[in-house]
Amino acid sequence: GSITTANGSALVKLGNTTVICGVKAELAAPTVDSANKGYIVPNVELPSLCSTRFRSGPPGEEAQAASQFIADVIENSQIIEKEDLCIANGKLAWVLYCDIICLDYDGNILDASAFALLAALKNVQLPSVTINEETGLSEVNLKQKNPLVIRKHPVATSFAIFDDTLLIVDPTAEEEDLATGTVTVVTDEEGRLCSVHKPGGSPLTGAKLQDCITRAITRHKEVKKLIDKVIKSIKPN
Amino acid sequence: PPQMRGPRSKALPDRALVNCQYSMATFSTGERKRRPHGDRKSSEMTLHLKQTFEAAILTELYPRSQIDIYVQILQADGGNYCACVNAATLAVIDAGIPMRDYVCASSAGFVEDTALADLSYVEEASGGPQAALALLPTSGQIALLQMDSRLHEDHLEAIIEAASGACRAVHAVLDRVVRDHVQEVTALLGD
Repeated sequence: GSITTANGSALVKLGNTTVICGVKAELAAPTVDSANKGYIVPNVELPSLCSTRFRSGPPGEEAQAASQFIADVIENSQIIEKEDLCIANGKLAWVLYCDIICLDYDGNILDASAFALLAALKNVQLPSVTINEETGLSEVNLKQKNPLVIRKHPVATSFAIFDDTLLIVDPTAEEEDLATGTVTVVTDEEGRLCSVHKPGGSPLTGAKLQDCITRAITRHKEVKKLIDKVIKSIKPN
Repeated sequence: PPQMRGPRSKALPDRALVNCQYSMATFSTGERKRRPHGDRKSSEMTLHLKQTFEAAILTELYPRSQIDIYVQILQADGGNYCACVNAATLAVIDAGIPMRDYVCASSAGFVEDTALADLSYVEEASGGPQAALALLPTSGQIALLQMDSRLHEDHLEAIIEAASGACRAVHAVLDRVVRDHVQEVTALLGD
């Protein structure tokens, strides 16, 4: 990946919007009620350097809303089965910290974050961990690395709405500011809908929404091809 | 661009205020870093950056305004402060803010009687003496020199030489990049 200190990473540029995602894996004990599940913790950061609209200090509402959106996408689309992250039932599991940092904000942060997350997860190489039966301690083998099992590939497509007449795909910051509403549709590779995110804004007819979903499905195919091409071109090290 | 922000009481009447923020991405180091800003190392780096750039930027040209410099570290492999200074120099030039000279920085250290420039994380962690030097290359003036270890004064000369050589090399690269970029941009604007 782009960042060698992270277990997996990806840098995505969507027009001028630049987002980098780093995935770091740590070991933890699973909770009692889901003893065979690991954790995935996404975090979206919109630092002051990406745009003058963000002040430094605690994360603003846009960053928190984006973090929640990414958490929902991971949960709903089942991109990774949490059971796959479990090493020893009830004792040890992986925690994947996915940190998404925006480097340049020019609109459509949700799409870019989702792509970066997907690409970074595809890039993750986890070392194999075994539990020593006698001591009960874990042994990490850094030489033997396995990639993550990615079950579904969700892709987000955002639209800016202008008064129920005009729809613009992949809006820039200027278009987003002038728009009367936004819609984000997340689809997976089987043409199924994972989630639709329409946070208020001007109302949209059912027909228009159907149109958005169809376009999102088409766009999914193009994005998937691009991601596959890039992943194949990475030389294993 | 310089803009009026923040409480007006902080504004200086005759100069621009330089405000820096240094932040490390959580995935930038081997172990996931819990607190990207606000910890002591970050605050120290922020202060050093601020002092370095106050010396270099012609702040008298922008009274009662503030220049914000934000640096984000994506991957840390030694020489964090130096990479920040070099990146911030390019950013300030890109913003069109006039500076006295490029500010180029490099770290240098001593390992087994040889002076090394631009230390990596492994070399820094080995515990030998190390220094960070920020230089204004054309005039040869030192903007900042920081060292936190014990070093025999005979070796000081060698370390400063090594760091200055590295700074001049960095200056050559930065200068070429800036000139190429300006040529590209003027060609596009001209057509």
